[in-house]
Amino acid sequence: MRVLVIDPDPARAALVAEGLAGVEPLEVRRAAVFDEAEAARFGPDVVVVAADSPDRDTLESLRETSLANPRPVVMFVDRSEPGLAEEAVRAGVAAYIVDGLAVGRVRAILEVAMTRFQLMSQLRQDLERAKADLASRKTVERAKALLMKERGLEEDAAYRLLRKLSMDTGRPLGAVAADLLAFAGVLKGDGA
Amino acid sequence: MSEVLRLGFVPLTDSAPLVIAKERGFFEAEGLRVELSREVSWATIRDKVAVGALDGAHMLAPLALAATLGAGSEPTPMIAPMALNLNGAAVTLSTRLSVAPGENGEAQALSKLITRRRKEGASPLTFAVVYPYSVHNYLLRDWLAAAGVDPDRDIRLTVAAPSRMAELLADGVIEGFCAGEPWSSVAVASGAGRVAVRASQLWGKAPDKVLGVTQEWAEENGEVLGRLLRSLIAAAAWCDAPEHRAELSGLLAAAPYVDAPRAAIAASLDDVIFHRDGANAPRPPQAAWLLGQMARWGQVAADAETSSVAGQVYRLDLYEAAWAGQNA
Repeated sequence: MRVLVIDPDPARAALVAEGLAGVEPLEVRRAAVFDEAEAARFGPDVVVVAADSPDRDTLESLRETSLANPRPVVMFVDRSEPGLAEEAVRAGVAAYIVDGLAVGRVRAILEVAMTRFQLMSQLRQDLERAKADLASRKTVERAKALLMKERGLEEDAAYRLLRKLSMDTGRPLGAVAADLLAFAGVLKGDGA
Repeated sequence: MSEVLRLGFVPLTDSAPLVIAKERGFFEAEGLRVELSREVSWATIRDKVAVGALDGAHMLAPLALAATLGAGSEPTPMIAPMALNLNGAAVTLSTRLSVAPGENGEAQALSKLITRRRKEGASPLTFAVVYPYSVHNYLLRDWLAAAGVDPDRDIRLTVAAPSRMAELLADGVIEGFCAGEPWSSVAVASGAGRVAVRASQLWGKAPDKVLGVTQEWAEENGEVLGRLLRSLIAAAAWCDAPEHRAELSGLLAAAPYVDAPRAAIAASLDDVIFHRDGANAPRPPQAAWLLGQMARWGQVAADAETSSVAGQVYRLDLYEAAWAGQNA
């Protein structure tokens, strides 16, 4: 397990290492300030950051972009913030470790955060795939309607023609349908 | 009321209404006991308000909308019953960039530089904004896009805390940033940067920070919220008065608040409107405009569901009721 701890104070990195003792292989690295390039080179499985770190917004913004290879983030929260950690976890805001109290819970918290993160990423991918499928199905329907109108084909025959084009060119059905619609547009003068 | 209200703020010039309400007795005058909590990230502000660790906070206007829509976090209905200021956001460029200054030509010159660097195979310029859901992000993008720069393709866009911007610019980690004051003025004073464009130049009167509370808290604490709004409106009016500027910059410069050089804070006050021209009224068309910016850059869908939160978050009715109470 590779863990990146962002904290100017080495104490928390030591706590994380202690809590993860026994995990093999294990590499806990500490940086005072988050550096995107350095983090990318290290490739951590999970990032731990103090809840009061100014780097939180930077880490959060990485989650918004798919480019930056997002990582699950776990937050350390000071003991002087009663209720925050428990409430935040219950609300699903984030995984929090309460400072100084949780050596024995570090491992479980990091593992839950990683599992939850993978689940959320999977859900997001599924949603995107479902959206793409729907868009592609609509495109195929429109291409089919075009063939029926322009070539006087029955629905079945129009679909078979599209599928043949797809197999002949080795390209997905949706892509062939999109090309057909685009070319039809050009021939009619839409694309000029 | 015996209970202490906890309000969060981020070290910025526009946290002034909260700081002044506390320091100059405007909370007290409304019978409120308030503890201010200095926070260094917007994500923490949002989370703490969402879970009730803070009763309310100085908040980026788009953040209140994003939290309500569940963009970037679990959805939590938030409301903005008052705006704390207008303007203050500025694009600051490194003095090391070989771009000739000039009000209209600068973005064009930057665009040419970006194109030239791409042809030469140089690494893209890096710009930082304070948060994805911020007018700072939209201002930088709008300004670059108008000069033909695609902010998602032609530059590297990152996020950093406002108080770190001047240092990142001086160290050459970033070539430009868009943040709230006084951090542009701090970069200018240190010689690391110069202001290329301000929100006030591009947009006239730009929405900026609001008081953000959860809808639930507002419903349960309606009477307290009214007093809170009255004290903050009075404090905002105090902040705008020219005769208070020296005192205001002195108070804000202190370590528990903005913790920045007093001269830079004084300079930054030129651009920020705290109260005049109806600056504190949370007008739903402003929220709709912000939602339009969010949709323009793909953060939210441009649909009816999105636009319906404008009036749900920007509660002009609560502001007007408090204002009427003030003048009664």
